[in-house]
Amino acid sequence: MLSRVCPEHGPLEAVVYGDAERYLEIQRFNKPGQKPLRRQTPSSRGCPHDCGICPEHTQHTCLGIIEVNTACNLDCPICFADSGSGPQEHGFSLSLDQVKSMLDAFVRAEGEPESVQLSGGEPSIHPDILEMLRAARDRGIQLVMLNTNGIRLARDPRFAPALADIGVHVYLQFDGFTDATQLAIRGRPLTEEKLRAVDRCGEAGVSVSLAVAVERGVNEQEVGKIVRFGIEHPAVTGVFFQPVTHSGRFRPDSNPLDKLTNPDVIDAICVQLPEWFRADDFVPVPCCSPTCRSATFALYDGDDLVPLPRLVDVEQYLDYVTNRAVPDPEIRQALEGLWSAKAAGGSGPVAERLDCVACATGMPPELREVAARGFMIVVQDFQDPYTLDVEKLRKCCVSEITPDGRLIPFCAYNSVGYREQVRLEMSRANGNGYGARR
Amino acid sequence: MSSSGAQRIGALPEFDELLATGDAKACCSALYANPAVRWLLGDELHPGGEATTRRALELIGLAAGEGLLDVASGTGASAILAAREFGSIVTGIDYGTEAVGRAQSGADAAGLRDQVAFVVGDAEALPYGDGEFDAVLCECSLCTFPDKARAIAEMRRVLRPGGRVAISDVVVDPEGLPAELTGPLATIACVGSALPVSGYRELLVAAGFRPVAVESRAEYAAELAQRVEDRLRGARLLGLDWAAGSPIEIGIAIELVGAARRAISEGALGYAILAASRR
Repeated sequence: MLSRVCPEHGPLEAVVYGDAERYLEIQRFNKPGQKPLRRQTPSSRGCPHDCGICPEHTQHTCLGIIEVNTACNLDCPICFADSGSGPQEHGFSLSLDQVKSMLDAFVRAEGEPESVQLSGGEPSIHPDILEMLRAARDRGIQLVMLNTNGIRLARDPRFAPALADIGVHVYLQFDGFTDATQLAIRGRPLTEEKLRAVDRCGEAGVSVSLAVAVERGVNEQEVGKIVRFGIEHPAVTGVFFQPVTHSGRFRPDSNPLDKLTNPDVIDAICVQLPEWFRADDFVPVPCCSPTCRSATFALYDGDDLVPLPRLVDVEQYLDYVTNRAVPDPEIRQALEGLWSAKAAGGSGPVAERLDCVACATGMPPELREVAARGFMIVVQDFQDPYTLDVEKLRKCCVSEITPDGRLIPFCAYNSVGYREQVRLEMSRANGNGYGARR
Repeated sequence: MSSSGAQRIGALPEFDELLATGDAKACCSALYANPAVRWLLGDELHPGGEATTRRALELIGLAAGEGLLDVASGTGASAILAAREFGSIVTGIDYGTEAVGRAQSGADAAGLRDQVAFVVGDAEALPYGDGEFDAVLCECSLCTFPDKARAIAEMRRVLRPGGRVAISDVVVDPEGLPAELTGPLATIACVGSALPVSGYRELLVAAGFRPVAVESRAEYAAELAQRVEDRLRGARLLGLDWAAGSPIEIGIAIELVGAARRAISEGALGYAILAASRR
């Protein structure tokens, strides 16, 4: 529970982590931050008002996000980016050159960034999206993700092969299998299109992470089914569960005391798939605040499933507080790369690291390939204006890259007013982005 | 995992021949020195790991400078802990030459060469004079000794008057134990010839000890059984060739561990620390 008092509005309480004991217990997974190569903004007004990254920030960026447009082919009731299909206030659509210069800014800040995600809006409807994705790959970024609702993938048979050609990983919004879920979260029944999108990726050889917005009372009961579907589908290499954030298209009736948080999602997975998962299979990701993100990798042979932390003492390697013998640095480094915001199941670097861990634990080479296909499950909460904690924010490693080359921590971007500021500036500079050509 | 992490895990030892000789001590010693077994059980090889060792030594009030004999010292992890955290002078004795060599290297690497020594020897005929030690530790191994009364008598003999012994071991309720958890395999898995708490207590009293404390560690036994079951499932899933040299198939091993887990939850199987002092 986060409790604070505003001089103007009085006291406010919000749930930040649904299990107080675990909240304290997992603080030992807090890895000291690493500096970025360069910072883009000075500290003047104090956190969180100097973003970009300023000297107060304690962590570099593991994952960069570029929102290429504000236009969308859906009007989701939960959209934190306040995107949509109709005419938009302060909408924009970036040019290819703008995206290239943003990628360059990211490379300058990180040296050799491993992961970037192109998002929106709905990036797949941007006319230059393929060139933008290619530009990211051309800069040596190994994991280039397209964050999409899948509608174009389902409808345009040429799209998935084009993504395969570039080497793109699809981060597909996938909230469940019922119309009720789709209506509540996306405003329209979409199950059939989503399934077709996944199949099209499978046929084209594109790997897919399912990104699930989880909302209390809407689709909590579907999380186990989604994991099972993903594990059994050849195209799907992971699932990202994200409790719905109450930013953006903010619902005034949302209750900060009733917010769904990471331990609630983890418990739901364990209750729905007790033969496969326990809560301690989900190990906190140490690069950001350990309460922001937990993850596991599951080994599956079509019959039995064993989470990797049951075979390797992951906690021993990622515990930065408890006084223990210094673990094997090579294994620790591999595990840090797996338990990271830059990781997605099935990507090249993730497979390499899983192989390293498998090798170190004595698996025969011909079977390490099974381990390298480890299925990644991530539970990641984002902060909203109710739960925003600058201490956590300062260690955030997921950044929105802005057209002027700043890197703004994701939750600051969505909860402090940066998104609105960028939209206003971009709509003035680029014109209204509504009506982007297909 | 810390020390065995970079080491390749091979097959289980070929101990079916050892079993046939009826030498359970040699068999156990070989089994628990095997990297595959250590991967299954963890370096400490007993429920609760270091926490159980620490608690056992607390219960006998081990003090700095006291001489401790660790009977069946295995990997040496407990002896090193006793030296490092309690400041005692430790002798570890084990039946396996290889285990002793590795344990000594570990102690030397930890900078404890002057404080910890490991020797090869038999728990039922300790190579020490009477009253040489202040304390004795015997973890998860008494249950496997064919002649428990003799082993305990030996512990008493090498203790000075007023010396203390800490025994941590598998405990069973013989009537509640399912049939599959008896027999030679169960013996080396520390189940088949384990006693109820009252059985250990009677042996201690008969040998001339006064029991001072008993603590259940059943919850750690449940954790360890879960770990072994998970790792066996992982080995099966990954196709690790663990059946080689093993008298049982991995599927049967998983079933056995499952039976052990159920027995633990029903209270028929557990783990306990007993502390006693020499009269």
